[in-house]
Amino acid sequence: MRAAVHLCAAALALAGTSAALAEPAPAPPPWTGVYQPQGVDEIGLWGEDDESERKLAASPHIIRDEKLLAYLNDVLCRTVGADRCQAARIYVIRDPAFNATMSPNGTMRVYSGLLLRVRSEAELASVLGHEFGHFERRHSLDDFKRRRSSGDILAWASVLAATVATREAYNATTNLRYEIYGSLFRYSRDQEREADLLGLGYLNESALPPQAASQVWENLMGEIEASSVARGLRKPKFDAIAFTASHPPNGERAGYLADLANPEGAFRDDGAERYRAALADWIPVFLDDQIKRNDFGGSEYIITSLATPGWTAELWFARGELFRTRGAPRDLVHAAEFYREAIALQAGHPGAYRGLGLALLKTGKTSEGQAALTTYLDLEPEAHDAALIRLMLPKEDAQ
Amino acid sequence: MTLFSRQLAAACLSFAVLVSAHPGLAHKLRESGQTEAVAQSDMTVTPTLDWNRLDGRIGKRTETWTLDGEQLNNVTFFGGIEPGSPLIKERDRKNKPLPDFNRQTLLPEIPELLERTYRADRDIGTFSVLSVAPARFLAQDGVEFAYSYVDADNLTRLGLARAVIVQGDLFMMLYEAPRLHYYERNLPDFMALLESASLPG
Repeated sequence: MRAAVHLCAAALALAGTSAALAEPAPAPPPWTGVYQPQGVDEIGLWGEDDESERKLAASPHIIRDEKLLAYLNDVLCRTVGADRCQAARIYVIRDPAFNATMSPNGTMRVYSGLLLRVRSEAELASVLGHEFGHFERRHSLDDFKRRRSSGDILAWASVLAATVATREAYNATTNLRYEIYGSLFRYSRDQEREADLLGLGYLNESALPPQAASQVWENLMGEIEASSVARGLRKPKFDAIAFTASHPPNGERAGYLADLANPEGAFRDDGAERYRAALADWIPVFLDDQIKRNDFGGSEYIITSLATPGWTAELWFARGELFRTRGAPRDLVHAAEFYREAIALQAGHPGAYRGLGLALLKTGKTSEGQAALTTYLDLEPEAHDAALIRLMLPKEDAQ
Repeated sequence: MTLFSRQLAAACLSFAVLVSAHPGLAHKLRESGQTEAVAQSDMTVTPTLDWNRLDGRIGKRTETWTLDGEQLNNVTFFGGIEPGSPLIKERDRKNKPLPDFNRQTLLPEIPELLERTYRADRDIGTFSVLSVAPARFLAQDGVEFAYSYVDADNLTRLGLARAVIVQGDLFMMLYEAPRLHYYERNLPDFMALLESASLPG
């Protein structure tokens, strides 16, 4: 009995694909064109997915900016090729998390938190390519089938164990349960590796540097570490695999993605300037969403990383807001300094004067603070909180 | 004890557990015209129609009332949040801390505090403060602000809050309802409740 049970579990386990990840990723297979779902499982899955896409399209969380969508589509097409990219429909979700997904029917969800974190077209392309890899390999369908058959095996094993009703049979069923759960998570990690391999295949063939893929994970690890340090937590382990981990550890990914990148591609243009220009209107908005999440270390990491090509008034302002809202006395001193930097770069920045005024008032510099708030109201007399701010000024200024 | 009576006892026990755990059966009626102290504080309100006081609390020194269910219209009282405390209960202090109200928080920063609390607690990216204005609350100078946000249920909600800092502690009343139909319908009921609020001493 136990041998049979182990055999079943072994049959479920997928041969690891990670061993194959050492040389540059090969070019993707030829595109087979428009695909229609086959068989009852896939047709059902796509049907559910169509419904989910309809809901998504009507959701208030979606950012409806034609120019931004056209740009993201263009990056995707330049990554996976003009033929493949026709299969995807991109939706940008206003959510500060670092995430993107692509579901079986071609719905690609790109989170605003991802757009805030990637710094070039190449980094964006590596994430979009990875998600497209899941789509091209139809991972959702495989995953669904695997979960169902695992459930079937467990159900039958319980029935068989009940008929034998011995302690050995009970133990074997328990072991089987762990093995099947473990193999499901392992399978999910292997799917991620496979999507990484295909994603790098697209990037190697594209005009963008494939080395960016590894950089995305290096940056994310930097942010996670900064976030933990600021909260007084231990440095996270980036190489450990938890039993229930659905993705390979970030450290491993950064490593093998670097190996999969074609070394000859390292000197290609990564499109960082084009990316900054295309996202110029949105980055301050996404940054505001991020700094209000109360993740001080992570937000500070993102701001300083965005400032690598040079500080802007918006970045200084965001940093001022981050420090002022954390609000320790030392933070307020720094906040005032950052707002002043913003004003130095953009003399009429109303938000920076508001923040500066509030930060100074809180550190006891009342007259200076009131002067800054007066400038804020001069610059923006119709500000949403003008009436309340006016009450904080001396009577003669307030009139 | 026979097998049947054991099974019966187990069934009764699970029913009792279910009943006691079901929040719907533990709510209290707050009757029109009766003055009630709210949120474990001295703040009192006198409703002009019957409200339901929900049993669950979203944080220390808070209390929630509703007419049709908290998803449709909810009034939350904050009865003196002390400096150094978050507005609502932290679900994961270690990994997802919420911003604290502190001694130096200024009135114009209270809308930001609520916004940051919601964004951090609910992982949302869609929250806007629509207006901020001075207003009297609990017979003192405070702030009134309106806001809107979209939660995981994709429904746009509007909110209106009035807050004041009394001897270093934050007192606030807020009203939230879906923008569609409910917000407008019950706004006068909230305003009546708001006007009745008082804090002795």
